[in-house]
Amino acid sequence: MPFGQLLVEGLAIGACYGLFATAVVIVYKTSEVVNFAQGEMAMFSSFVAFHILTVYQWPFWLAFVITMVFSILLGVLIEYLFLRPAKHPSILGMIVITLGAEMLLMGLAGWKWGAEQKFFSLPLNPSVTYEPVKGMIVTNWAIAVFAVASVIMLLLYVFFKYTKLGVAMRATQQNKHAAKIMGIRTERVFSIAWGFSSLIGAVAGMFFASRATLDPAFMMEPFLRAFAAAVLGGLMSIPGVIIGGGLMGLIENFFGFYWPSWKPIVAFIVIILVLCVRPSGLFAKHYVKKV
Amino acid sequence: MKFGKKMVISLFAALTVLTVASIAQAALPAGFDDNEIRIGQWGPQTGPAAPWGSVARGSKLLFDIVNEEGGIHGRKIKYFLRDDMYNPAQTVAVVKELVERQGVFAFVGGVGSATGMAVKDYLAANKIVWVSPSAADKEFTQPLNPYLFAQYPLYKDEASILAKYIVEKLKTKKIGMLYQNDAYGKDGLEGVKERLATYKMSLVAEIPVEPTEKDFASQILRLKNSGAETVLMYVSPTAAVITLKTAANLGFKPQWVSSNTLSDYPLMFKISGGLWEGVITGAFSESPDSKSPLMTKYRDAAKRLTPQERWGVFYYAGIAFADPLVEALKRVGRNLSTDALLKALNSFKDYQTIGPKVNWTEKQHQGTDSVQILKCGPGASYIMLQDWMTNDLATWKK
Repeated sequence: MPFGQLLVEGLAIGACYGLFATAVVIVYKTSEVVNFAQGEMAMFSSFVAFHILTVYQWPFWLAFVITMVFSILLGVLIEYLFLRPAKHPSILGMIVITLGAEMLLMGLAGWKWGAEQKFFSLPLNPSVTYEPVKGMIVTNWAIAVFAVASVIMLLLYVFFKYTKLGVAMRATQQNKHAAKIMGIRTERVFSIAWGFSSLIGAVAGMFFASRATLDPAFMMEPFLRAFAAAVLGGLMSIPGVIIGGGLMGLIENFFGFYWPSWKPIVAFIVIILVLCVRPSGLFAKHYVKKV
Repeated sequence: MKFGKKMVISLFAALTVLTVASIAQAALPAGFDDNEIRIGQWGPQTGPAAPWGSVARGSKLLFDIVNEEGGIHGRKIKYFLRDDMYNPAQTVAVVKELVERQGVFAFVGGVGSATGMAVKDYLAANKIVWVSPSAADKEFTQPLNPYLFAQYPLYKDEASILAKYIVEKLKTKKIGMLYQNDAYGKDGLEGVKERLATYKMSLVAEIPVEPTEKDFASQILRLKNSGAETVLMYVSPTAAVITLKTAANLGFKPQWVSSNTLSDYPLMFKISGGLWEGVITGAFSESPDSKSPLMTKYRDAAKRLTPQERWGVFYYAGIAFADPLVEALKRVGRNLSTDALLKALNSFKDYQTIGPKVNWTEKQHQGTDSVQILKCGPGASYIMLQDWMTNDLATWKK
């Protein structure tokens, strides 16, 4: 068994799931809405990057910066246009709205860029690999995922712990009305959460696209896995979802090596088992529904 | 809850049966008149499977050429193309609309296995002729359906021919296979195993992947560990790209071999960032740059009539699929009827245009088992490795 290689591959794809799951969690943390459009928002942003790279042929760093700005605007806009106008929305109603946004984005991308798969690559030379231990190849892609995931985690930690806005976001999540009374502009908090989440999703989306192909439906499967990783980690805790993502990647790869036909479902079975024992996930602190 | 669901399903089934039954009784509009013959096709023009939908537009080109040349025995072809988004429920809806409202005489092509299965019995019940489904599924012709004529080589036959080529020409001893866990992949697996058994060989690894999976690292490592020198992949275009990218990253460089579904080299080359070079595939029609007179004629017509279309294998497969229907209509003459058309189709012997030779008899409607073997050269060029070859192990022929 190529233990080392499975470990590296499992952790790399796991970090990618974890990164994307973080995007899901940020929205969930502030508004308790599971954003089913998350995958398609990332898909749309990746297409914008693709468009800038292939049609305008601008350098990658510029395309990346523009895509990041675009993804923030996209997140803010979807929150502002679709979720905010809903009068007295129930959680379920909001989730259905995000499903609608998902369909809309997928349709738009199909109309603009077509359904045919596109080639998308990050400026990482695929032929350069590192072999620190024999039989354990580490690719540039894996290194980039680890690096980006770590930086984003660190920034989020600092943001939620030490900045005023971060504290305001946590307050909004814990009690929206109390937060409002304390002078927090909760609506603005929601906008910012959506913008953040969309940005992190777009980064993860580009990682996924460079591993496979870019097409309007390419984020559906990664979204499901990232969502499962988020549930495993507890939906509320950012370190939790990263660990959830890592576990997911490792379980999949190690089981998938011996029983390939079980690969797509084994992680979900583990999640169901975990949820039977710990209904709110491995790392959730809060699970009492507020009245 | 469970009971309720069951009720809904049975109610739905009952309603469907009733609707189909009542329609079968009603008189259908005639499929042709003195001036036109109405022909229909479904194919995804939007949605995830849209790249394959060019088949349906390719057929249109042939009908435009035929009409330009004056039609068939004084009748022009009126062509109806409907977008079913690769969704069987939509296929049923568009096919019914074409049959019952537009009065379509015959269908041609039609992308997809599941979509075709959804309308196969409806078409037969209404005595509508359907020529060349754009999918390889043995259930289209086994058991025999008198109104359905297939010419797409079965995946099992193609896989058997590819395996023979691998053993005899590439002379590889260690062969692995990566297959999609559905009828397409499993048929391919069966064909390969059947062929290898004749050499007393077996696969060193057979790894299934689910159609939607996006991470193949563990599967590729399994193949790498098995020491496979040649790997057959019966997967979707996206899965093939993930496979090649992952293998390249993990330093695994076998000879890749795949089915005709991945024979659109310019597309595969582009979406894999050039990794497709060197891959060997089967092919069910001549390569796009073929110099044969008929290919040249079609290619020139495409440049003139549909300059916006890419001259890709799936686009002109639509022509190859429609060729036999046009030929049969020509053979029937002015006195057109469904029975006359069936008779003409049932007498096809070694009929060949830009695809393999097609043979149809009253007892056998699987028209061919031949494929070519090609290799992707530099810049997505086509290199011919082996001309049309039939599968001597095909069981359905016996």
